[in-house]
Amino acid sequence: MSIFDIIGPVMVGPSSSHTAGAVRIGLVARRLLDEDIRSAEILLYGSFLATGKGHGTQKALVAGLLGMKPDDYRIPDSIKIAEERGMAVSFGEAALKEAHPNTAQIKLVGVTGKELEVIGESLGGSRINIAQIDGIETNFSGDNPTLIVHNLDQPGHVSEVTSMLAHKSVNVAAMQLYRSSRGGRAVMVVECDQEIPADGLKWLERIEGVLKVTYLGKNEGDK
Amino acid sequence: MTYNSIQEILDICQNNKIPFWRVVLETDMRERAVCETESFETMRKMYRAMCEADSNYDKSLKSESGMTGGDGEKLHIYNMSGKNLCGEYVSLAMEKAVKMSESNACMRRIVAAPTAGACGVIPAVLLSYQELYHTEENKMVEAMFVSAGIGNVIAMNAYIAGASGGCQAEIGSASAMAAGALAYLEGGSNRQMANAMSFALKNMLGLVCDPVCGLVEVPCVKRNSAGAVNAIASAQLAMAGIESAIKPDDVIDAMRRIGNSMPSELKETGQGGLAATESAEKIRKAIEL
Repeated sequence: MSIFDIIGPVMVGPSSSHTAGAVRIGLVARRLLDEDIRSAEILLYGSFLATGKGHGTQKALVAGLLGMKPDDYRIPDSIKIAEERGMAVSFGEAALKEAHPNTAQIKLVGVTGKELEVIGESLGGSRINIAQIDGIETNFSGDNPTLIVHNLDQPGHVSEVTSMLAHKSVNVAAMQLYRSSRGGRAVMVVECDQEIPADGLKWLERIEGVLKVTYLGKNEGDK
Repeated sequence: MTYNSIQEILDICQNNKIPFWRVVLETDMRERAVCETESFETMRKMYRAMCEADSNYDKSLKSESGMTGGDGEKLHIYNMSGKNLCGEYVSLAMEKAVKMSESNACMRRIVAAPTAGACGVIPAVLLSYQELYHTEENKMVEAMFVSAGIGNVIAMNAYIAGASGGCQAEIGSASAMAAGALAYLEGGSNRQMANAMSFALKNMLGLVCDPVCGLVEVPCVKRNSAGAVNAIASAQLAMAGIESAIKPDDVIDAMRRIGNSMPSELKETGQGGLAATESAEKIRKAIEL
């Protein structure tokens, strides 16, 4: 733990979990979609649902979806700003079972029609965990440069990804593999110590069996 | 050299003949792989963000629930009336603690220290001190490192979140962090800083987290002023040469064990304590969040 997790972050109140963490969930979701958002359906669960209004959780999630960071003065006005920018936002209750008490399920449609569904958990002290992407379980914070590869569940894809990283001198901090079923869709989440160059990502996108490459760089982040 | 306890920080200070704040800074340099200037300037930014948040207090703001707002101004007026009970420093610290905590409840920008709920305590103690005694900013930043080191040890060995350890983990930790920093500003020895931290945390042990409607407002805003006053009182005890019978790391250990045995109703769920009173129920019905 860094001392700036103790003194910090600089954030808009009132709650590091229900406000700052919620902004970060929205921000990571937007960066995963990687384009402006046409519509967002935000479903809340547990304490987010029960005490979210008083904590500004909804405003915080929308602020993140607009690309704001947890210290942005405009967070209280985010819903109005979303309206001005033509981003349609709706809220509801998430039908999840035994999820983390501070959970948001976010369904996004981008301006080009690209779709994404993210389930994010706010763990306290503004730390977050992305627990699901497009229905497949994941487990990452977005603090490190993170590569997410959707691919068909077939031999060789892990080695293609790690070879590319080795070639680019990128060290792997953590790596997780998930699949919906044997031979079905799989997701690789690779958290790295260094940024991955754009040409490496482009190379991955062209590989047969790779369905989608998403990259979460470090410096656009909030911490 | 990395520390996991207050005693380890004190040992490193003694063995390497460096001050407490520098142990914390050098550990940060190594852990984040940054140079001394970057570490120090990042902490300066945190201090300045606290100053900015303090000066941006807006007495007209109300929180979404309507429970919070305007009390910092009342304290300010009372302090200015020339008949305050607490003396100049304590009165100003209380005023700043309430103002910062109100700003937080009203979705203004603050610095979590260690949490948003306890964001008023450290700036109240430090900013008031600088305002009254015109201390150099570098010295204030050094004091921030002292409080960060104390907070780091508490987070590693106990809790800093109300949901995990009750209010003792939030306001209690903030108060301990502020007390150590204040002893440093007063020229206290490392031992006196550790004693101040121990007194402050001991005085807050057992404090539960029972916010009305689960919101960071009642009793949190006023608890920030209590945490600030407790920090000043604890630094005063330490500077007078009084020794804590319980070692600082043992106090932190006790805080963790007390937190573990606290029922979940009293850990930020809004179900027990003050949150379960008739008054709270009336508020809940009135605001219908």
